[in-house]
Amino acid sequence: MGRYVTLLRMQLRASALLAAQYRWDFLIDGALSLFWAATAVIPLFVVYTEGRASIPGWSFDEAMMVVGWFILVQGVLEGAINPGLAAVVDHIRKGTLDFVLLKPADAQFLVSTSRFQLWRVASLLTALTIFGVVFNRLGRAPALLDIGLSVLLMWVAVLTLYSMWILIISAAFYVVKIDNLNYLFTSIFDAGRWPISVFKGGLRLLFTFVVPLALMTTFPAEALLGRMGSSTLAISVSAALVFATASRWVWRKSLRHYTSASS
Amino acid sequence: MISVKGLKKHYQVKQRPPGLAAALTALFSPQTKTVKAVDGIDFDIEPGARVGFLGPNGAGKTTTLKVLSGLLYQSDGSVTVDGHVPQRRDAAFLKKIMLVMGQKQQLLWDLPPSETFELNRAIYEVPRPAFDQRLAELTELLELGDLVNKPTRTLSLGERMKCELVAALVHGPRVLFMDEPTIGLDVSMQVVMRDFIRRYNEKYGATLILTSHYMDDVAALCPRVIVIDKGQLSYDGSLEALAKKVRPEKRVTFRWSSAVDPEVLSRFGRVVSSQAGEAVFQLPQASVKDAVGKVLATLPVADLTVENPPLEEVMSELFSRSRAAQKPVEAAS
Repeated sequence: MGRYVTLLRMQLRASALLAAQYRWDFLIDGALSLFWAATAVIPLFVVYTEGRASIPGWSFDEAMMVVGWFILVQGVLEGAINPGLAAVVDHIRKGTLDFVLLKPADAQFLVSTSRFQLWRVASLLTALTIFGVVFNRLGRAPALLDIGLSVLLMWVAVLTLYSMWILIISAAFYVVKIDNLNYLFTSIFDAGRWPISVFKGGLRLLFTFVVPLALMTTFPAEALLGRMGSSTLAISVSAALVFATASRWVWRKSLRHYTSASS
Repeated sequence: MISVKGLKKHYQVKQRPPGLAAALTALFSPQTKTVKAVDGIDFDIEPGARVGFLGPNGAGKTTTLKVLSGLLYQSDGSVTVDGHVPQRRDAAFLKKIMLVMGQKQQLLWDLPPSETFELNRAIYEVPRPAFDQRLAELTELLELGDLVNKPTRTLSLGERMKCELVAALVHGPRVLFMDEPTIGLDVSMQVVMRDFIRRYNEKYGATLILTSHYMDDVAALCPRVIVIDKGQLSYDGSLEALAKKVRPEKRVTFRWSSAVDPEVLSRFGRVVSSQAGEAVFQLPQASVKDAVGKVLATLPVADLTVENPPLEEVMSELFSRSRAAQKPVEAAS
């Protein structure tokens, strides 16, 4: 375990060095991160300033909480999950995954931690700012237990999202080009900025059970607002564990399918 | 050290004829064929040996190397490397081996090679003192100097390849798999790499398996060669014996002290080439003495050399013979 912490530290260091390598890239990347984090709240303003409080069961402030979680989880996806895993597709195509598989360490860990976009920390700061503003407007502070629960649910959300990404990347072992799949999921993920009650019927089922966006943004927001039931917590944790186990199994199975690129 | 018995690696490959209609048909009813990349080969390699894999492109050399290093699962047969089953890829096995591929790189492109070395040190759990000592030694042997601190992307191909070697050796592997390590390098860099590989092998007793299309690499490094062609082992022994077997002739070059009528040359044996002032004969070994005596007695010889035919030609002949002799090994399914 200690060894993997050391490896994570070294991989983070390499990402930091990489980010600092090109001065203009570094500055532009930083500015873009702040810009995207700020634009994530715009759709909500559009809906609520037209005078139609159109999300049943959610006031503007409460819906803003979901946006905060969406920004946070999206930041984790773009900063920590996607950079490393997206490189796997290239590794498979060029055959350089060989070098990862020849290392005496877990291949899934090595590829997952191979690259970070450190500027996406801006998303975390934006999300925390939103939480602060929301509670300020609500005129109260979150309960300690609710903070604890929402932190737990944040890890549940990250684990679920990471597992889904592993499942998508694993498809690259079979079909090599998965750009469309990646694009599709990124588009679907965008729906996570809305509370789940916005969606009806099939979409609601889809975003709760198949692509569990509810678990990633709505449930943590409910937890922080202090209105999440214990059954929701149990379902979230169980779902994350199921996704994690399934994705690990699929990843290992897919590795056996790896044929490497010829020299 | 390495034992391979009945190794087979077959792939299912999708196949379709050219044209739009065929492409549409293939969408709904894809045709596959079995490609027998490796089709039943056996060999054993002693610890510390240097062995060259030879064969034309697509012969199965790299596939065999990848099965030995645990990257590919064989379809049949058994493989052990220093008592390990490579496909299990257990940490103890991976710490004993390395794979260098001339056409692929593991160095972090935008960072200096020293960063990759450090990362590998952590991954292979090499103690700091051992790492520092080994790195200093490798850096000196390969005359890397300060190059390891420049971003990889700014290095020349030869410099990058040297750094690739260091990255692959920081954990002190005992089995070296090298797939065309000198490809694209200039002649002097090829010599540096060969010298380095030989010295590493001699100093640490590491076992080496090398594939290369440069016959000079194989001649300089590998007393034993294994020829793989169309997935099958067609020769296992010394390079010299292989050359004699394929081309038992000697190549005799004469330089003339005055002009010689090219028409008369064929009387003495098979003429390979004839230019102003020089002629090259290819002669059966038994008749070299006799033929050379006759030429010396009748023509104005200034100088002569007797050599084995170039290894490239020997290999080219070997592979073209095997192409002519063997039927295709793909079977449609």
